[in-house]
Amino acid sequence: MGLLSIIRKIKKKEKEMRILMVGLDNSGKTTIVLKMNGEDTSVISPTLGFNIKTISYQKYTLNIWDVGGQKTIRSYWRNYFEQTDGLVWVVDSSDLRRLDDCKMELDNLLKEERLAGSSLLILANKQDIQGALTPDEIGKVLNLETMDKSRHWKIVGCSAYTGEGLLEGFDWLVQDIASRIYMLD
Amino acid sequence: MEDDDPIHGGSAIDQALQKKHHDMLERLSARHQTRKSDSPDSSSSSSSFESTSSFLARFADSKRFIESRIGELRLGSSSEDPSNIKSGLAEISSAIENLEKLVAANSYFLPSYEVRSSLKAVSDLKQSLDILSGELVPKKKFSFKSKSSSTKPESKLPEIHKPDFVSPLKVPVRDSPGFRNKHGETLVKSFRGSSIGEFTLSDLDSCEVKLTGTVNALFLHRLKNCKVYTGPVIGSVLIDDVEDCVLVLASHQIRIHCARKSDFYLRVRSRPIIEDSNGVRFAPYCLDYEGIEQDLKTAGLEEETKSWANVDDFLWLRAVQSPNWSVLPEEERLSPVSLSGDS
Repeated sequence: MGLLSIIRKIKKKEKEMRILMVGLDNSGKTTIVLKMNGEDTSVISPTLGFNIKTISYQKYTLNIWDVGGQKTIRSYWRNYFEQTDGLVWVVDSSDLRRLDDCKMELDNLLKEERLAGSSLLILANKQDIQGALTPDEIGKVLNLETMDKSRHWKIVGCSAYTGEGLLEGFDWLVQDIASRIYMLD
Repeated sequence: MEDDDPIHGGSAIDQALQKKHHDMLERLSARHQTRKSDSPDSSSSSSSFESTSSFLARFADSKRFIESRIGELRLGSSSEDPSNIKSGLAEISSAIENLEKLVAANSYFLPSYEVRSSLKAVSDLKQSLDILSGELVPKKKFSFKSKSSSTKPESKLPEIHKPDFVSPLKVPVRDSPGFRNKHGETLVKSFRGSSIGEFTLSDLDSCEVKLTGTVNALFLHRLKNCKVYTGPVIGSVLIDDVEDCVLVLASHQIRIHCARKSDFYLRVRSRPIIEDSNGVRFAPYCLDYEGIEQDLKTAGLEEETKSWANVDDFLWLRAVQSPNWSVLPEEERLSPVSLSGDS
């Protein structure tokens, strides 16, 4: 109880949130972060390792950890789990073939104890592509309704290409984290 | 004890030693007294000792006491009345709290290992107290939920639990447009004027594929002995499992998984990557068809950035060149391919 209240006080002062972005490769994680930050998204190489972006969002400072999703580096995701306030799972809604991979990796992630307290935002990305699955369909495929009841989660359709839906998703995420950590605000 | 040492038989020495020893004991007890009176709450549990061993002894005592109280309460739970149980639980809880304070007050001189193990012991005690109170005190029938749990946006279905296994996809997923399961054919498709966003080539053997116009996303899966020529892809190309193929592609991003003995002729805005691949070779894009200049412009790929040669091998994270890929020697490259005649 003592330690937790100290941590809460520190976080309250700094208004910082740690956000972890993960998902399969080619889902658009880096593009989302750069688009949110108003940067050029036309030249982005597949992420080898990770990127950190600090973004001021409303009255909070978001530390966004964008971790590469290639198969060979997914095992390193766990190195970034500690002290995560918000988890963003990015889905390529046009990649129909790998939806079961996507579900499996998400299920594994949600079993992780260190992420148990974090809010979960699922971004059904690439909605601009004709033929992409809708957020509802993605939600059904990922079986989100069966998620642990203590988890705060939301699925939002978005396009990192046009920027649509990104603010809606992050608004929810930031509000949800704020209501947990900065309850007195 | 030195003063009992029989070797130093001389009584003068003996006396001197004894006096010295006596003085020392007096000094020590005086210092002890002053320290006791200096400390404002010397009687309370949060006093500090500045000695790891005395702290540990004190800590172990309190811990044993708490553990035995928890044990007593558990055993006697059936006979005692609820108010006794409640006060017993409160007593243990405050004892644990005192123990935590004790650790905190002494943490400044304790080795970090001791601090950690003590805090761990405290949290273990708390946990066993939680379990005990869960067993002894029945849950209230009605209570106000905390704010955070009442705002959760999830369904209210009560029977749902987290699945422990990965269930197969239950939702039927439609297929994206594409060419699938072909053998020895020439497959031609123009995206010009179509509203197709994504396109898939899957399970093709010994085929020649010609795609013109622009598309948002392209997926290649299980191709063997194929030749694939495509116009510019606005988003990304994802390639998985190709063997003995020649692929001529232009895209913003290109990811290649499980490719063997294949040649890639690429124009790409960013670094192409390979994973679990070997024997793959790279060369610049070499496709031509009527209107390709306009398509490249539409896709933002009109410029040759030479990125085709900057390949990242995710299984070769070293400064030296990966053995899994190479630049295709100029004399072995295809001459520019023109699709104008057949499409």
